[in-house]
Amino acid sequence: MLILFAIATYMALLIQTAVPLWFPFHALIPNLVIILTVDLGLRHHSALAALMAFAMGYATDALSGNHLGMNAFLTTSIFLVTYEMSSRLLVTNVLVGAITVFLAVMVAGLGGVIFTAGRGAVEEINLVFAQLLLQALVSAIIAPLVFAAMAGTKRVIGLPDELERE
Amino acid sequence: MLLALNLVSIGVKPTDFAQRPVTVMMTAITPVQDTLNSFAHGSTGFVRNYFDLVNVRRDNERLKAQLAQTKSDQSRVVELETENRHLSDLLDLKDALGGGNAVGANVIGSDANGLAHTLMLGQGSSAGVMPGMAVLSFRGVVGKIIATSANASRVLLIDDHNAALDAFDQRTRTRGIVAGIVDDGLTMKYVDRSQEVRPSDVIVTSGLDGIFPRGLLVGTIKSVKGEGPGMFLNVAISPAVDFRSLEQVLIIKQMPESIDTQPKAKG
Repeated sequence: MLILFAIATYMALLIQTAVPLWFPFHALIPNLVIILTVDLGLRHHSALAALMAFAMGYATDALSGNHLGMNAFLTTSIFLVTYEMSSRLLVTNVLVGAITVFLAVMVAGLGGVIFTAGRGAVEEINLVFAQLLLQALVSAIIAPLVFAAMAGTKRVIGLPDELERE
Repeated sequence: MLLALNLVSIGVKPTDFAQRPVTVMMTAITPVQDTLNSFAHGSTGFVRNYFDLVNVRRDNERLKAQLAQTKSDQSRVVELETENRHLSDLLDLKDALGGGNAVGANVIGSDANGLAHTLMLGQGSSAGVMPGMAVLSFRGVVGKIIATSANASRVLLIDDHNAALDAFDQRTRTRGIVAGIVDDGLTMKYVDRSQEVRPSDVIVTSGLDGIFPRGLLVGTIKSVKGEGPGMFLNVAISPAVDFRSLEQVLIIKQMPESIDTQPKAKG
């Protein structure tokens, strides 16, 4: 499972860093790492999965911004909230996943601005809110496809797709 | 049989009565034959036309492929010309900065999240690139290196909201701190209200931050607003460099004492 998510994260980061060079509308590029983190939180409830979420954020930190650890903190937080939420819900279907992705992308974006802007965060949030909203929407629309791709890959390589609890 | 043998043996002439059924038969069959014949001719023509059309289509496809190839070659030539011009400009800039103190690099990636403004460059510590080094393009200041690996590095663009550099207005010599804003663009902070800066003034680096050499183009003033409370003017700057279309940059490994010629401000 860890290797699968590591490869998926690598591919996600590859897309997120390469596509903006050809396609300048960054807001329309989904946050694939957050989608993978939500998938991890919804389906894998183990200490290793939490470590994986941290590693995914840390890998994002290596390719984004200049505050090392910020994305690691945000993805771990998103994983834990998703994990808690999914353990309390009776069903965690695609719709729940998509809504969670929408909220997670918003939280990660706003969290990033607050983290880096400090006192001037309110003004900066006003400037980027529309962009964040658009990215969260695009990510939520793409999320079911990513979930399906991950589930399909798990089936092909013989990993359980059902909820794993520790 | 006897009748047939009789007909054969008597030798029927064209005017004989026995010839009548032949005429009737011929008359009856002719229109149908004509129709069939014209249909056959038509079919042949259709088939011929079809094959001609196929040939025309083949020719068309071949010519289209040739045209596409020519267009591709043409765009490749234009691309090479542009790259050549960029590299030539960078080389001029490199010479102006003292030659060996700078290294050229290609932009190979963007920021993984849209909110931070960073780029990945194709030169790393193996080429002597270290964090804190200045990055320029032939149009002006780009940013500074924040992380390196053996063969790649990341540059924090000056329009990132965590970036700042010391600069001054070339006309009035007014100093300020140029910083990025989260949305896009630049702002010049700490410009006193008594200063007479105005739109279209050129902003250049002061060299006092120890990262960027003095006199490099940062941008031009877009607007100056003085309304509202506070001690300072709100100065918006339009960057000289289009950060979204950067392809090649120059990393300054060692800050030169002086610049021979100031980089030209182009388009």
